Amino acid sequence: MNSRNKEEVIANPLVMLREEFDDQAILFDPETGHTFAINPIGVLIWKHFDGRYNLDDIAVIVRERTEAAPSDVISHIVNFVEAVVDLGLARYKVK
Amino acid sequence: MAAQVMNTPRNVDIEITSFCNLRCAYCSHFTGPGDVKDDLPLESWLQFFAELGRCNIMNITLSGGEPFSRQDLRALILAIVANRMRFTILSNGTLIDDEIAAFLTATGRCDLVQVSIDGAIDTTHDAFRGEGNFMKAIHGIHTLRANHLSVSVRVTIHRRNVRELEAIAGFLLDDLELPSFSTNAASHMGLCRKNAAQTQLTVDEHTLAMETLLSLTVKYPGRINASAGPLADAQFWLEMEDSRRTNLERPAGRGFLTGCSGPMQTIAVRADGAIVPCSQLSHLTLGWVNQDNLGEIWRRHPELQKMRKRSQIPLENFAFCRDCPYISYCTGNCPAIAYSLTGIIDHPSPDACLRRFLTHGGRLPEVSCICDS
Repeated sequence: MNSRNKEEVIANPLVMLREEFDDQAILFDPETGHTFAINPIGVLIWKHFDGRYNLDDIAVIVRERTEAAPSDVISHIVNFVEAVVDLGLARYKVK
Repeated sequence: MAAQVMNTPRNVDIEITSFCNLRCAYCSHFTGPGDVKDDLPLESWLQFFAELGRCNIMNITLSGGEPFSRQDLRALILAIVANRMRFTILSNGTLIDDEIAAFLTATGRCDLVQVSIDGAIDTTHDAFRGEGNFMKAIHGIHTLRANHLSVSVRVTIHRRNVRELEAIAGFLLDDLELPSFSTNAASHMGLCRKNAAQTQLTVDEHTLAMETLLSLTVKYPGRINASAGPLADAQFWLEMEDSRRTNLERPAGRGFLTGCSGPMQTIAVRADGAIVPCSQLSHLTLGWVNQDNLGEIWRRHPELQKMRKRSQIPLENFAFCRDCPYISYCTGNCPAIAYSLTGIIDHPSPDACLRRFLTHGGRLPEVSCICDS
């Protein structure tokens, strides 16, 4: 188990989620002007970055709401979180 | 098949004021439908910017009129920032001082300020823009750059500067050391319609501008660009001629009215709050800010849906294009200029028609001549 699994994540409030099409969305950071494409599962994960769900909770939700979620979905979520935290798009909640 | 439409536009072009301190002889704004009597007041813009924030709009382009003439520009920009957007300003450069430039820098959200410069010396620039405005605009550029803002220059090519393009490129790229500049030409809109004989390039001048600009793109690689006007025409027309000469099979997206992708990403607003497809098609009111829902207009307005289907209209439908040897390689170009010249949006633009240009005595640049220069 990853030590981060019990941590909650909070989206940077400045970062904008644009759900442009049914299967395509982008995160836009107005501070830098950078955009990042994310897929529908990324959107589902992002929408739970409100500080109330830890990564294990989010993994359960992803398994419930997506067909054929991989068995190692939690590692995908951890990788996604690390990427968005590194980019300044979100942060771990301070306990 | 029609392209999928985004839930909301990414960009909104806003004529934040109809007022301008200049009256450039070829201005596309004045005497056109965007030339409205009353600007929307600050409170209405602030309400609209909040809606843009809820629509997740990314970028605002402020134009006019002259945006820096608005006394409440700071409040407007702060609202853009507060609603998580970035912005670009299109300006004549003459009203920019250190204080406003420092403010723009401090926001951290200004992508670009575009300043219009039409000459390498004051007499050329001021010929159609008014005496004293060259020095003011250059001062504006220096002020923006001193405040570490990204500055671009737009050169509008007309009858008084078409023989000075080398000097203009040298001035902007060598003397001012700007990274790049863009060009267009005085086109049949706004005041230019009345002043066409004085401002709009003749066929011979258009030929000269194409040759000169192509040579300059070799001298200054990647530093001169255009999406309309003689340079864009030269690049596009040479490609079309090459396709015709080699009998190339029709490339994807050619042979139809595909010359404009604006309605897929961008919508515009007039200074009086009318929502329009594009600042150059400002007669076509789709709705009003703070009265109509922007997202609904974007997704469902019949005029926008019609414009998005232009790309399915084959050029062979038009008598204007009949028997044209370039029909398989053409896009019909800008719908706004097509409308300005023909009164029909769903029509190829005569202004950008290669066959018409050649028929009227125009010449394509010699490619070998360009490469040697």
